[in-house]
Amino acid sequence: MYELMAWLQGSALGHAMRENGVWTYGIVNLVHILGVASLFGAVLVLDLRLLGVWRRISLSAISEATVPVAAIGFAVAATSGLGLLATKGTEYVGNPFIYIKFPAIGLGLLNVIALNVSSAWRQHKTREPTPCEQSTLAVMGGISLLCWLTAITAGRMIGYW
Amino acid sequence: MFSFSSGICSVILAVLLSAPAAAYHGWAGNSDEEFELTGVVETGVSLAGPHATMKIRADGQVWDLTLAPPAAATRAGLKEGIIPVGATVTIHGHRNRDPKRFEVKTERVLWNGRTFNVYPDRK
Repeated sequence: MYELMAWLQGSALGHAMRENGVWTYGIVNLVHILGVASLFGAVLVLDLRLLGVWRRISLSAISEATVPVAAIGFAVAATSGLGLLATKGTEYVGNPFIYIKFPAIGLGLLNVIALNVSSAWRQHKTREPTPCEQSTLAVMGGISLLCWLTAITAGRMIGYW
Repeated sequence: MFSFSSGICSVILAVLLSAPAAAYHGWAGNSDEEFELTGVVETGVSLAGPHATMKIRADGQVWDLTLAPPAAATRAGLKEGIIPVGATVTIHGHRNRDPKRFEVKTERVLWNGRTFNVYPDRK
């Protein structure tokens, strides 16, 4: 872990983060927050729908709007987050929240893969899910909310350790 | 399902939010007592990251000094390279509540007759 962080800190990204003026970290942090907000805002709406809220709106209508916003939000958050981590990466070794945050992100992404291969999700644009499929989707929506809430909470706490 | 998972979320949130606060975001993890330390600069001022930092050695121990955010430290005149490595400085601030952590949230740095008041609103 220390070696990985030391390498990241010594990388061109680490140097760029440290050597470009006093506002660099703040601005990249802002971008990170915008990415996280887009990701979680979209995921929250989609997951609540998967859990059965707003049944009058079709799942395909909601997924059409939320999935791309979540995907772009994730890409923005991940890219900027790498920059924040690279600034002084070695200082985060031993911070327990890092070890909660990244596994939570990993689980969240595994859940995205599981959702995408499930027949319930693959069919949702062409027909209404069956009651059984609805339960599957609800479980995945619940897991998703849990993962991203945990990731965000642990992420926010990193600086307070 | 919804109330079950939101219940779990609330529990996780509550556990995480009750975790000890420290380091650079708040003052709660640092003692209320005023703390003063004189030492020799081991690593000069760095303006990288969420807060400016420097390291000083005092009584054989290296102390991590957490300063103001980079822009505020700069406004106080504390830029990189101004205080040379090896210089003797005196700092005022609040040390970490954990006696095993040699970290000080630093409000003022005194060096060579100059005072860098990086937190001018704090006494």
